[in-house]
Amino acid sequence: MAERDVTPGGSGFSFNPRVITIVVVVIVLLVFAATSFFVVDATEEAVVLRFGRYVRTEERGLHFKLPLGIEQNINVATQVVRNLEFGFRVQEAGVTTVRSAQDYPQESVMLTGDLNIVDVEWIVQFRVNDPRQWLFNVEDRERTIRDISQSVVNRLVGDRSIIDVLGDERIAIETAAQIEMNEIFGSYGLGVNVSAVRLGNVVPPIGRVQDAFEDVNRANQELVRLINEGREVYNREIPRARGEAEQIVQVAQGYANARVNRANGDTARFLAVLQEFNADPQTTRTRLYIEMVEEIFGEAQPGTAAAAAEAGGTATGPTERTDLIDRNLSNFLPLLNLSQQGAQ
Amino acid sequence: MRKTTTILVVLVVAIIALIVLSPFYIVREGEQAVVIRFGEIVASTQEAGLHFKVPMVDNVVTYSARLLSWDGDPVRMPTRERQFIWVDTTARWRIIDPRQFYTAVTTMNAAFARLDELIDPAVRTIVAQNDLAEAVRDSNIINQIDRSESLVEIQGVDDAETERLREITSLLPVVDVQPSIAKGRRELSNEMFDRARETAADLGIEIEDVVIRQIRYSEDVTDEVFDRMVSERRQIAELFRSYGEGRRQAILGEMENDRQTILSEAEARAEEIRGVADATAAQIYSAAYSQNPQFFEFWRSIQSYRETLPRFRATLSTDLDYFDYLYSETGQ
Repeated sequence: MAERDVTPGGSGFSFNPRVITIVVVVIVLLVFAATSFFVVDATEEAVVLRFGRYVRTEERGLHFKLPLGIEQNINVATQVVRNLEFGFRVQEAGVTTVRSAQDYPQESVMLTGDLNIVDVEWIVQFRVNDPRQWLFNVEDRERTIRDISQSVVNRLVGDRSIIDVLGDERIAIETAAQIEMNEIFGSYGLGVNVSAVRLGNVVPPIGRVQDAFEDVNRANQELVRLINEGREVYNREIPRARGEAEQIVQVAQGYANARVNRANGDTARFLAVLQEFNADPQTTRTRLYIEMVEEIFGEAQPGTAAAAAEAGGTATGPTERTDLIDRNLSNFLPLLNLSQQGAQ
Repeated sequence: MRKTTTILVVLVVAIIALIVLSPFYIVREGEQAVVIRFGEIVASTQEAGLHFKVPMVDNVVTYSARLLSWDGDPVRMPTRERQFIWVDTTARWRIIDPRQFYTAVTTMNAAFARLDELIDPAVRTIVAQNDLAEAVRDSNIINQIDRSESLVEIQGVDDAETERLREITSLLPVVDVQPSIAKGRRELSNEMFDRARETAADLGIEIEDVVIRQIRYSEDVTDEVFDRMVSERRQIAELFRSYGEGRRQAILGEMENDRQTILSEAEARAEEIRGVADATAAQIYSAAYSQNPQFFEFWRSIQSYRETLPRFRATLSTDLDYFDYLYSETGQ
């Protein structure tokens, strides 16, 4: 453009029509060249229009088109996976993704099949798989995807109970949503493929309802704790009881051994003496008898045969002394007995 | 040289004239056009590309040929059981007959206004004819989902306990059996769609679908719903607690049972052992003593005297055989 200003009005330059022609031709050629080529990136496909009409789709690389706007190219990023968020928005994507603080209840609040309220956040990932369809078939593309996604997820959640939605049916909902969205977008000719639907936070309404759900979890923990407490006491008591039982049996076993051993001992002694006795019954018998009397009255009570009356009156224990009464003083016996009983 | 300049000027003027007084018009992909001459529609096209028109005279109006969205505002409306809910619907539509559309509607804003008039009443009518459950749910799978696994998450207890717990919780009506529905949300959407579509045809418009985007409770019932949700949860929480307490007591009872059983078994065994020992001892004794009963009597007696006599306070009489020699050396 700067050249043009200089050339025609150039006072020191000779005005030559031939030069003008050449310049014009060069400019025209440049314009032709500049509008004849276009580049398609590896992530893109390009749709080429001639006078607004679709003629072809080009893959990556350098391509020729008719110049001067006769053919136009529109590049569409077909390899890029796009994200749409529902119930929340990503404020700043990055290593640590920042969510915007705002909530979107008009997207996330839903009714479940058992007529409870639940708050569902999710994302939809999609990729353009047919740039021609993507460009020309649907007017509000993002809004259409949002509307249908909301409608599908809302319906799937509405078909299940809140427990299912919070729990095991999440994956079923994700899968079904992806399939149904692809069907619907296919019928619209939207030219996209939904590669994933991911449920994010799925929670009961904040406040007392959420508290009540939390309380169920707490009760669950408590249940486990109570059972464990019972088990703990059981485990503390039963092994001890087993030990006690073992003790009882062992004590009885000890008694049994002692009893049998004593019987063996007693009888062994008896049999030994019996042998002696059989050899000489008369003297053995007498010897044994006298030994017994000696043992009882001789060792156990020192100081025998003292004054009978004195001893009887002051006796402090049965082993102190023994009274001996002469068989010829037969009338003394009852008197002594009476006086002893009186003294006691 | 002058000639070349003239040719160039003519060329430039011709191009400018062509642009200004263009006998062409371009219909881009995704657009359609009607050509109007003095208020009359003389042509229409849905073909993209270069088209001819009479310059200065013909006026070209282009419309989108793409699928369009209609977004209704959420509307509060009653269901058949007079439950008020917010229903948010959207629809997809397109202009299928540009001539008709130009005649009947003309502008896009007018088109949206007409769609409001068509779709809103259809939604209202259908919702009012059906129960809430028909609009919320889409099928009866809610009554078929197996929840035996999902009810209780038990960690830290053994398998037998888990099994027992599962038995109990499977009896819990954690999700009440819901009434069967006959139609469901998709069917209701289709009914709305049918009603709206009938009247859209003479506008040059075709409605592709009507879908419910969101259903919400009206604010005045939200509180009651929250109350119900809370009480449902509380019921389950109480059951868990009471079950836990009960299990603890049962385990304590089991403990007492086991303890008593173990101890009494031990005692029974102990008695048996003692009895056997006693019997054995008796056998041993009688086997030995029966060899000489008279001597046994004597022997056992003097043994017993040894044991017992020291405990008595004794007063002996000289009548005892022992004293026989006290009075006589012959023992008489």
